[in-house]
Amino acid sequence: MTAERETVTLTIDGREVETEKGRLLIDVAEELGIFVPRFCYHPGMKSVAVCRMCLVKVEGMPKLVPSCSTPVSDGMVVETNTEEPAGAQEQMLEFLLINHPLDCPICDRGGECPLQDQTYRHGPGSSRYIEPKRSWEKALDISQLVVLDRERCVLCWRCIRFCDEISGDRFIQLVDRGAGTQILTFADEPFDSYFSGNTIQICPVGALTAATYRFVSRPWDLKNAPGVCSYCAVGCPVTNEERGGKLVRVQALPNENVNDFWICDKGRFAFHYVDSAERLTNPLVRGDDGFATASWTEALAAAAEGLRDKSAGVICGGHLTTEDAYAAARFARKTLGTKNIDSRLQDDGAPYELALEHFSVAGSTATMNDVETARTIVWCGPDPKETLPVLYLRLRKAVVERHAKLIVVGPRRISLDDLATHVVRCRPRGEAGCMEQLLSAGAPGAADIGDPLVVCWGPAHAGRDETAGFAAALNLAHDRGGKILVCPPHAGSQGLIDMGVHPALEPGYNKVVEPGMGTRAMLEAAASGDLDALVLVGADVLSDFPDADLARRAMENVGFSVVIELFPTETARFADVVLPAAAAPEREGTFTNLERRLQKLEPLMPPPGTAREPWRALTSLARALGDDWRWASFDDVWADIKKNVPTHKAVDPAALAQEIPPASLQYESGFEPTQKSAAAPHVAGPGGQYPKGFRQGAPFHTGQSWPLSWELRAFEARQRPGSIPVEGEAVEGAATIRAPDGVRAAPADGFELLSGRLLYDEGAMVSKTRVLRELQKPAYVEMNDEDVKSLGLADGDEVRITGGDVSATCRVTVGDIAPGTVFVPYHQKGLAANTLISAGRVTIEAVR
Amino acid sequence: MAAEVRMVHERLRSFPDDSWTLDRALADGGYDAARTAVTSMSPDEVVELVKNAGLRGKGGAGFPTGTKWSFVPKDVFPKYVVINHDEGEPGTFKDRELAELDPHQLIEGIIIASWAVGAEKAFIYCRGEFALGSRRMDAAIAEAYANGFLGRGIFGTKFDLDVVLHRGAGAYICGEESALLDSLEGFRGQPRLKPPFPAIKGLYGRPTVINNTETISTLPHIVANGAEWFRGWGTEKSPGTKIFSVSGHVNAPGNYEVPYGITLDELLEIAGGMKDGKRLKAIIPGGASAPLLTHGDYALDFESLKEAGTMLGSGAVVYMDETTCMVRNALVTTEFFAHESCGKCTPCREGTWWAVKVLERVEHGDGRQEDLDLLLDIANGIDGRSFCPLGDAASWALRSNVKLFRDEFERHVGDGRCPYEEEHGAHKELVGARSTGMTATGLGEAGITPQPSEGIDADQRGEW
Repeated sequence: MTAERETVTLTIDGREVETEKGRLLIDVAEELGIFVPRFCYHPGMKSVAVCRMCLVKVEGMPKLVPSCSTPVSDGMVVETNTEEPAGAQEQMLEFLLINHPLDCPICDRGGECPLQDQTYRHGPGSSRYIEPKRSWEKALDISQLVVLDRERCVLCWRCIRFCDEISGDRFIQLVDRGAGTQILTFADEPFDSYFSGNTIQICPVGALTAATYRFVSRPWDLKNAPGVCSYCAVGCPVTNEERGGKLVRVQALPNENVNDFWICDKGRFAFHYVDSAERLTNPLVRGDDGFATASWTEALAAAAEGLRDKSAGVICGGHLTTEDAYAAARFARKTLGTKNIDSRLQDDGAPYELALEHFSVAGSTATMNDVETARTIVWCGPDPKETLPVLYLRLRKAVVERHAKLIVVGPRRISLDDLATHVVRCRPRGEAGCMEQLLSAGAPGAADIGDPLVVCWGPAHAGRDETAGFAAALNLAHDRGGKILVCPPHAGSQGLIDMGVHPALEPGYNKVVEPGMGTRAMLEAAASGDLDALVLVGADVLSDFPDADLARRAMENVGFSVVIELFPTETARFADVVLPAAAAPEREGTFTNLERRLQKLEPLMPPPGTAREPWRALTSLARALGDDWRWASFDDVWADIKKNVPTHKAVDPAALAQEIPPASLQYESGFEPTQKSAAAPHVAGPGGQYPKGFRQGAPFHTGQSWPLSWELRAFEARQRPGSIPVEGEAVEGAATIRAPDGVRAAPADGFELLSGRLLYDEGAMVSKTRVLRELQKPAYVEMNDEDVKSLGLADGDEVRITGGDVSATCRVTVGDIAPGTVFVPYHQKGLAANTLISAGRVTIEAVR
Repeated sequence: MAAEVRMVHERLRSFPDDSWTLDRALADGGYDAARTAVTSMSPDEVVELVKNAGLRGKGGAGFPTGTKWSFVPKDVFPKYVVINHDEGEPGTFKDRELAELDPHQLIEGIIIASWAVGAEKAFIYCRGEFALGSRRMDAAIAEAYANGFLGRGIFGTKFDLDVVLHRGAGAYICGEESALLDSLEGFRGQPRLKPPFPAIKGLYGRPTVINNTETISTLPHIVANGAEWFRGWGTEKSPGTKIFSVSGHVNAPGNYEVPYGITLDELLEIAGGMKDGKRLKAIIPGGASAPLLTHGDYALDFESLKEAGTMLGSGAVVYMDETTCMVRNALVTTEFFAHESCGKCTPCREGTWWAVKVLERVEHGDGRQEDLDLLLDIANGIDGRSFCPLGDAASWALRSNVKLFRDEFERHVGDGRCPYEEEHGAHKELVGARSTGMTATGLGEAGITPQPSEGIDADQRGEW
């Protein structure tokens, strides 16, 4: 920062402090170690000054002022704890307590309750209130996850503001007025939000409690350790908490660079997989009568025997840490001597190496902070609310608070469309063509592209080659001087690429001259008997690879396979040796998130049985194969990484030791980009041709940007793209999405199938958590309105979807999706889409 | 001897049979002042004129109207004018009469104000219960459009103005300007955090001027007659006239337009003196929010009443005679505020609820000696600490009742019952626990309602 920030000097409780102008008094005081009591104030949200707890005396002001909404100014003299403000604080607490049930002994919040703590510090010793307290029906289940006790509520509005400002899921509101004011959901509408758990964490009392944690523990009985959420590539810092060896709660840790203060409900609640009884606890070795439990020594010997001198391949899952990834790469390249290693289970081409052409990393050049401060964001990828929920929050913040222009390119409506300035609805595979057009000045939306620009790209649909789309995204970012944010599918994805778990890239993006086989090639080779052995590290190819049939044939036909896993997965059932793995809260490690930020996991509890980190399993296996890496600890692995991975030379894992807020580190690439000039040739998709979208003029569906800095809620109320605000009145239907001409009857050769993940799916982790399983949507087929009609169907009808030899029945949902295309969630109850995807096209028929 | 004057009341007092019609307004020089302002004065000249006249807001705070207008940024569009016609202060019924009996005067004022601040859209936020008034205003707005006083190109100029009438849904808090804006936008009516002030960021985030009905109704007279003429009434700092809604134990309750500066005793005389020759015990000089006075030798202007520790407020003057139980008075007043508290901030929400509980006990004979200090503590706990002035108002009313009539409270506690029940029979409900009742009572007793006023039951249930 070169611009000088204006500073002011003020005095708080006799201590002079110099700080930036415009900051809030409550924050400045807190930095001085002066904690002004508060309930409604939360640094992640706008001040509302409703609890009146943080009143302080400012010299010259006629009344006490709320320090949460008073900006500091020069020469201000503030008293926070003299008689007048302290008296007011005490009085507020007395007011808040008159109707509070004081049921602390049975309240989950007891022991970590801001109301309790502040009553001890600032409150009166006894109450003068002798009347009966206000009473409400206790413990209302306002959703599967959240329980509301209105008697405990102090009406701080934190939950409401979170839903209003942060998540945009306005399902809870104030009802009634005066002393009858209460927080409630709307009648018959549950608190249906992917972010609802955050309201529990920020509730300053026990009004909102977690259904999964009610009466489970007292805070002083909990042991906790910092960790990183392992469900998506955002990598939110969390704290894992256990009691009696059982993981009972996960909460968000704040990091303004990553997650602000928030995590999604999957991150918060889907931890029950850790102590699931189904976990693998001991190695299994296939004998004549099926699997038999074995010691590690026996299992490693069997595995080594099966792998020795074989043509082999290594496939890694997306949940591996950086260390596991490095171990897998070393195991494949050095121990097995093969280039056949990959982690890309989506079979999307995920052409990370393309980024090296324009930018110096095989991944993002943008950070999430860049996204938040961008003037223009182009999004071409999966629905971030389903796959990268906290990134969705940050995108939303960029649009709602900072009025960034958001251009969304894709074949179907996703959550971001609601926030978009322009929605470019393309045919499948038309993304690249549409983004190309954004480069030409005449295209709608192109005029809105301004600096700073961040182009976000992620593989949206499993089993489709997305190379062209990624190339177009890179070109757009490069040509417009913007940055690229690559959104890989899993928590470990970036680390796996960095560590060389890629057939064409060695650790640190060293390009391999003759690349080995990728995931599909390895499975095909295994299926045809051309590959002797497979090592699957956290890779459940039968569930996760988009061609279930190929995965099955590969596992059936491969001569020998070793699986390192948490659970006895479908894939593991075919293995010859199964080695049990440790889960994230049970281990030390690092994840590299989508912005190449390394964050560290600390072990909270021991793994079950003899399970251990995958890198340890691989180290032992290498030793059994005669290749001793001499790794005994996390530090040993890192010493090796620092020596051999150029991009990670400067990384000091000790600096990642978790604190609160968690330390994290974004490493710089040591590479020079191979193409630096502005005239760099475009990186073309396969065949050198860009797939084209709609014919000229058709693809753009534009809405107007919101021209005024309106109140958030006025914005929210009418934020659908296509509505043009005119002096406070929304004009509806200015631009509605229409199917282009020419689509009348269902395509004779069936529909093109797209499939992407939903947040709550049948994945191994979510499905072990009962509450989330109950929230999981059953499988559905999403189709365009015209297409649904052309089949004589209506929304909600049951249909049979058939692709190749596979067919299934589920409900049809009318959605905004390109004509001739259907969307099926990847893995929901009732339908595993990866059994259909390889067919490419599917037919839909009504079930009568 | 002070007497009524007729400025804002001119047309409706002179022509009680048809004062609300356009024909009558036009025959009486209606819209001439608006035409003058729009066709021959610049907006700045109008602002200057109103500043020079010293017109002060008549909704309660008495803020100088011209100064308020000058806070609105000139170069930001669109901006809005909003008329606060949510007259809810217990004891006040002046705006209701103005809208019912002279809506064209109000519209004329709106044209002048909108011209002055550069707004092309004005909203009248009408209290939901005002059925007749809203219909009269609706009709008057339609007539004004039909005659080219509203709409596009007013008076043949390029000035466009639309007026939208919006009926509230029955919340006192919506008389607070920022809560009014929230309600007008379709949200829950609750005060907003200030700054930003409405002049900078008001309705839909745009610069907004919010004025009271009576204030706006005064504008045509200032434009027509000039600042000097206007300053011929009232005091140096409170120039002009003010309509006082007089109610309570007086012989002729009603709305009286008088110059600022006459005393409460003089106003009482205008209103026919105390009923049945009873002795005056207490006066609420400016609506239920205002601290009480115990005699009438105070001038009715902003400065004098402030000096006396109370306020002019909205101009609701309630005279209470010796038979009034002040505990009861404190109870019904506090009940009103507890009922109308929006629930946003802790002290107002919890404090008013608590005070009602304590007052109920004291009134019904279950009071304890320490309750009197507790009541004062509750009042002090709310005062100056609530989010908006509603809480402050509740605390002032409560505190002045306890402080000025502590002996009565002590008698209630000591006797274990309300002494007034026995001495004077049933309680006289003075300051209504519900503002609806109060306003209706005042008008009804004053006998000035030209037609029976339909309440919310008759009118709104069908409509909504």
